[in-house]
Amino acid sequence: MKKTYINSILFAFVLMTILSSCKKALEINPVDTIEQKNALLTSKDVEGALVGAYADLGNRNFFGGRPFLMADFLANTNAIEWFGTYEELTQAINKSLLKTNTFVDNVWASGYTAINDANNVIAAIDKVDAAKKNRVEGEAKFIRGAAYFELVRLFGKAYNDGTPNVNPGVPIVLTPTSTVSESSYVTRASVTAVYNQAITDLIDAEAKLPATNGFFATKSAAAAMLARIYLQMGNYSAAGAAANRVITSGNYHLTNSFLDAFPKMPESGKPAKPGENTTEDIFAMQVTTLTGFNGFNEFYGSSTFGGRGDAVISKDWIDETYSADDDRINAFYDDDDLFTAKYGNQYGNVPVIRLAEMYLIRAESNVRLVPAAPIGGVTPLQDLATVRSRAGLTTTSATLTDILNERKLEFAFEGFSLHDAKRTQTNIGSLPWNSTKLIFPIPQREIDANKNLVQNPDY
Amino acid sequence: MILSLGLISFAFAQGKVITGKVTSASGPIPGVSVFVKGSPANGTQSDATGAFKLTVADDAKTLVFSFIGYKAKEVPITGPTLNVNLDEENNTLSDVVVVGYGTQNRRDVTGAVASVKSKDLENLPVTSFEQALQGKAAGVQITAQNGKLGQGITVRVRGAASVTAGSEPLYIVDGIPITSGDFSSTTAPTSALADLNTNDIESIEVLKDASASAIYGARASNGVVLITTKQGKAGKTLIQFNALGGISSPSNHRKFLNAEQYVKILRRAGQGAANQDFLNGDYATLQEALDDYSASVEARLNRYSAGNNDYQTYKVNSNWEAASFQDNPVTQQYDLNLTGGNEKTRFYMGGQALDQQGIVVGNSYKRYSGRLNLTNEVTDFLEVGINLNFSNSINNRLSNDNAFSTPLQSVALSPITPFIDPRSGLISGTLPGAASNYPVYYNPFISLDNAFYKATVYRTIGKAFANINIAKGLKFSTDFSIDNLNQNEESYYGSLTFRNTGTSNGDGQNISTFVINTNTNNFFSYNTTAGKNAFDFILGTSYQKSTTKYSTLEGQDFPSDSYIKLGSAATKVTATSNESAFSFLSYFFRANYKYNERYLVGFSVRADGSSRFGANNRYGYFPAGSLAWIASEEDFLKQSETISLLKLRASYGLTGNAEIGDYSARGLYSGTGAYGGLPGQSPSRIANPDLTWEKTKQLDIGFDFGIFKNRITGVFDFYQKNTTDLLLDVPIPQTTGFSTKTQNLGSLKNTGFELSINTENFVGAFKWSTAITGAINNNKITNLGGQVLNSNEINAAISGQPIGVFYLPEYAGVNSANGDALYYLNTTDGSGNIDRSTTTDINKAQRIFAGNPNPKYTFGINNNFFYKNFDLGIFFQGVKGNKIFNSAGQYMSANASNGYDNQTVDQMAYWDKPGDITVIPEPRLFAGNGVGNSTRYISDGSYLRLKTLTLGYTFPNAVLTKIKLSKLRLYATAQNLATITGYKGWDPEVNADYQSTNINQGVDFYSAPQPRVISFGINIGL
Repeated sequence: MKKTYINSILFAFVLMTILSSCKKALEINPVDTIEQKNALLTSKDVEGALVGAYADLGNRNFFGGRPFLMADFLANTNAIEWFGTYEELTQAINKSLLKTNTFVDNVWASGYTAINDANNVIAAIDKVDAAKKNRVEGEAKFIRGAAYFELVRLFGKAYNDGTPNVNPGVPIVLTPTSTVSESSYVTRASVTAVYNQAITDLIDAEAKLPATNGFFATKSAAAAMLARIYLQMGNYSAAGAAANRVITSGNYHLTNSFLDAFPKMPESGKPAKPGENTTEDIFAMQVTTLTGFNGFNEFYGSSTFGGRGDAVISKDWIDETYSADDDRINAFYDDDDLFTAKYGNQYGNVPVIRLAEMYLIRAESNVRLVPAAPIGGVTPLQDLATVRSRAGLTTTSATLTDILNERKLEFAFEGFSLHDAKRTQTNIGSLPWNSTKLIFPIPQREIDANKNLVQNPDY
Repeated sequence: MILSLGLISFAFAQGKVITGKVTSASGPIPGVSVFVKGSPANGTQSDATGAFKLTVADDAKTLVFSFIGYKAKEVPITGPTLNVNLDEENNTLSDVVVVGYGTQNRRDVTGAVASVKSKDLENLPVTSFEQALQGKAAGVQITAQNGKLGQGITVRVRGAASVTAGSEPLYIVDGIPITSGDFSSTTAPTSALADLNTNDIESIEVLKDASASAIYGARASNGVVLITTKQGKAGKTLIQFNALGGISSPSNHRKFLNAEQYVKILRRAGQGAANQDFLNGDYATLQEALDDYSASVEARLNRYSAGNNDYQTYKVNSNWEAASFQDNPVTQQYDLNLTGGNEKTRFYMGGQALDQQGIVVGNSYKRYSGRLNLTNEVTDFLEVGINLNFSNSINNRLSNDNAFSTPLQSVALSPITPFIDPRSGLISGTLPGAASNYPVYYNPFISLDNAFYKATVYRTIGKAFANINIAKGLKFSTDFSIDNLNQNEESYYGSLTFRNTGTSNGDGQNISTFVINTNTNNFFSYNTTAGKNAFDFILGTSYQKSTTKYSTLEGQDFPSDSYIKLGSAATKVTATSNESAFSFLSYFFRANYKYNERYLVGFSVRADGSSRFGANNRYGYFPAGSLAWIASEEDFLKQSETISLLKLRASYGLTGNAEIGDYSARGLYSGTGAYGGLPGQSPSRIANPDLTWEKTKQLDIGFDFGIFKNRITGVFDFYQKNTTDLLLDVPIPQTTGFSTKTQNLGSLKNTGFELSINTENFVGAFKWSTAITGAINNNKITNLGGQVLNSNEINAAISGQPIGVFYLPEYAGVNSANGDALYYLNTTDGSGNIDRSTTTDINKAQRIFAGNPNPKYTFGINNNFFYKNFDLGIFFQGVKGNKIFNSAGQYMSANASNGYDNQTVDQMAYWDKPGDITVIPEPRLFAGNGVGNSTRYISDGSYLRLKTLTLGYTFPNAVLTKIKLSKLRLYATAQNLATITGYKGWDPEVNADYQSTNINQGVDFYSAPQPRVISFGINIGL
């Protein structure tokens, strides 16, 4: 009697355990993340994904700064004194990148992450409210076009080196990845094809973007990026015209003093604060205390100002480069060593395109297009003077040499030197301008993962 | 029922007197509990001479004798005098071993189970029980990553059975799968197993083959570790107090350059670099280059010499390596245990306070823990009980091995740099004063007083259970448990650490981890015999759900370093919370059949469902079968004088592995894409709806033997584990926007042999016993779908090679003409010939397979001697056949070619002039001559370690009686007293904490050595 009673309770209990568990017991859904299929359903979702694409674009390994910094390191001869321990950057300074260089791999990965983000937005563009649709698509294409340009100029031969329509550039991916399939194992498109893709995206972006758009990409940002691309290709009429569109938009102004064009350094010992874009920022990656990262500050900033203090600026180089009356000679600070003051704020936005660049692109294009009438009706001398007068200098001549030299003075440590050396076919130290050592290797990891990729020569 | 119990106790009114003496082979035993069977209240104890006297009821039939360390004995009352001889408990083959959901006689076990008892685990100055297990279970390889307290220990049962999914065994404590693994917020792992008190453990069983482990199905591929805690015993309450105190020191020191050598090599490096720049055409004349470099080097030396020229006279000669270790760090451990009960209720209570100071400055670990194991027989058919374990640990942790702030990274600082900056009177590198670029790197000693990183864990593991005897042989067992882990990691880095943290006004973090793991097991067990046939069955179900929640807060800019809580931080830089959960729903069945005490057949199957896999592939089925033949029971062996036991075993079965992320099968978006203050989302994981279990098929063939009346016993096993459908984080083209995808791809194989032998070399007054364990494991990845996993650019997972194989360019030494570092090309031409010519360009050198980080041979040899009242234990442990890569070689053994880091002493043998024959290239400041990862930094990792040496003295009974103790033992024990190894680093038992994965093994990066602990202890029994 007693046993039977217990037995029936027991069996009921076991039965309950089994029944109650079954299916629901194994249904545990993520709470910090959501499933891809639920991610892009509404206009707000797609707009959120666009913001996410900016966040990935601004990754420290991409427009947050590292590829710009690494390009300057590769082109450095005597401006930067490197005291850092990151072997990856030591390799860059020594112009002997290894194909296993993880910083190089990170640039590649981050670039394509931003591209995939943009592809997701573009593929879901029909979900976006009609009123916002053009803007959202334009921004996504700006991001994608800018990313392809950055990748191709680092990982491919220079546009002016041999036959760009044959030279391998980087793979072109224009659709979002939801699963890995055969088509994920892409091959490298030619340098020309990648430039063309970047231009197509940016032309479309310029057409669709509004003139003002907060700190996000604008019509002028797309035009400015186009100007930079065309200049790199040697298409000076298109470069000058694009730069002219930015300048004449009237939405950007040179700051009064040179240092004002860069994030404000905190007082020594005081916390750094994030800030707004300056009036001459056409496009800058946003950094706050919680999001974004200033990849220049990491290495160029002294430790008092949030950096590692690894990249010291040579006193000799400063003295040789800047005249004493050039205000830009003051854009360095002494913290036992000399550091550039452009990146003295760890939460400062990362400038990507400043208006000064547009003046110098228009000036250079016009000089090169002589005897054609100057684009915008402004002479190279006037444009050059605009930039130089802000630094407290007078301007008497505007030869190509003057303008190219001005780019060095104005844009030092902003990621221009390598690409300018290549397009102007200027040797770097003992290395010829088109040396294979000045081209990033395709990351070994990527070659291992995708047999369809070919390595760059000499790696 | 209760009434009838009352009646029994009433019946003691009158009675008879029984007297007698309790002895063992070595003499009388005092303190033995003697009571009437069925009436434990009616009992007494033997006195110092082993004699007892007890009045019992007239109808009392049987007396029970029990004492710790001896087998309890029931003796029928045959007259007024009973002299009883008790047998010592030992690890003979008749022992009971714990298996999944039950116990078995070792004789009847058909699988491969390694068993380690408490006596081999207790009273050692370890933090976590795995350290005590090292070398004691054949086929179980245990490796500490470094000598930091409470940090990661790698355990591999029969080799790594996975490439990128978890490879740690499943840990079951008293039947419940506890939360194990790593909850450190840094990449340097800690272990949730450190919350268990080793001295609470009665036995550890490691289930190695499929037949033993398949009852744990989907999580058994990496082996199952069953931990059984101490239970109460009926009889007088035994009180044991143990205390241990010791002093630690590093097991080895590494030698770095002194001031004179440092100055010399850096000046030479300046000249080397000048020459290279001149040869590159950067200078018009060599002298110009030399002058430039000399000025730069002297300026730097002046800076690192605290801004003076003392370096020229080598006045300051700091030994940063020695300074990284504390002076005489103390280890203390106090245990108080109570064991007792009566026939109805039995209990074990254990408490421990552990206080360990690490060998590295700033490192300490404290733990307070308590355990109560209680069982009660409610009725003749119902037993209930609880196991309750709580602990609180406080770990003052160090930064990761790769952080400038970890003390051992101070070896990179210059010997010409004084500890105290004479300009400020403060620790070098402290504000106000030179701090941003002096010394060479952030000085980790600044962190000692200006930073802390404290991990506090509160852990409670509670289990309530009931066993119901339904009918003869049929039992239902049910339990419910909650394992709750609360961890808080708090750190503060003061304003003076700005060079390390990059913030001028303090940085504080507060990270909370909350894990709640619930589990229930419900199963029937049935055993019966019919003639020569014996059966036992179990059938049941279990459900586990574990939820982990994290939150991380970080703030910067504090009013002063007096404020360390985040409320005072002006800037909050991180505020996140996360949650993830998984569940397993399982059904299991096992049947064992024995015929005529000699033929054994076993079969088990488990069906496991997990939330981690896609809906289509949620369930996996894991069957296993085994056969055994106890040949020694057969007539032709039964009479043998030599062979007392011979058992042949074979098993085969399938187990699984599900140790991947909780949501690895899904395509996910993450909402962490905020930008410029606006919320954003971005893809975070690529989907794999087909993801399913990793499967391991294992064959095991073995035999157990006992010869010369079991004076020599042993177990031998051969196994072959084939793992397929590896759960692999496969690198995918990053052009997809993702870098890896978790998928079932590839296979690997572990084959090996295990042997353990126990011998009683001498018995009698002088006793000597030896226990030997040895294992050979061959691990080989058989297919990775053509992938090469090589995330740290040192170790690789690649088809045809063991997991983690070192995959590096081959160093060819130095060009004696110019001091260039050379590498073998090792490229293969069309006809298969390998080009052995050399290159200076490491990029051109084909990588070779340069050795296995996992040992092929692991072994332990334990010798125990007893003579009179002395006991001596000598335990050696070792590994052979593995290599170590010094990843810090590129900085510390870089012939001063990679900056101003101090160098290991061997670098003074650098190439200096044409014709020099050496393997150390010419020093060339910042030119990286020979510093790339290559076989230059590989060395042999084999070692033989005198792991434990213990000498004890147990006071004789005569003394004990006078001082009214049942036991008093004094002992001295030394851990890691001596190590024989060819490795030139700190310690061959190493794997840099920040980078450790299944693949990344055997890498040294400023990793602290194991401590050598000399301690003294006392065991007191009341």
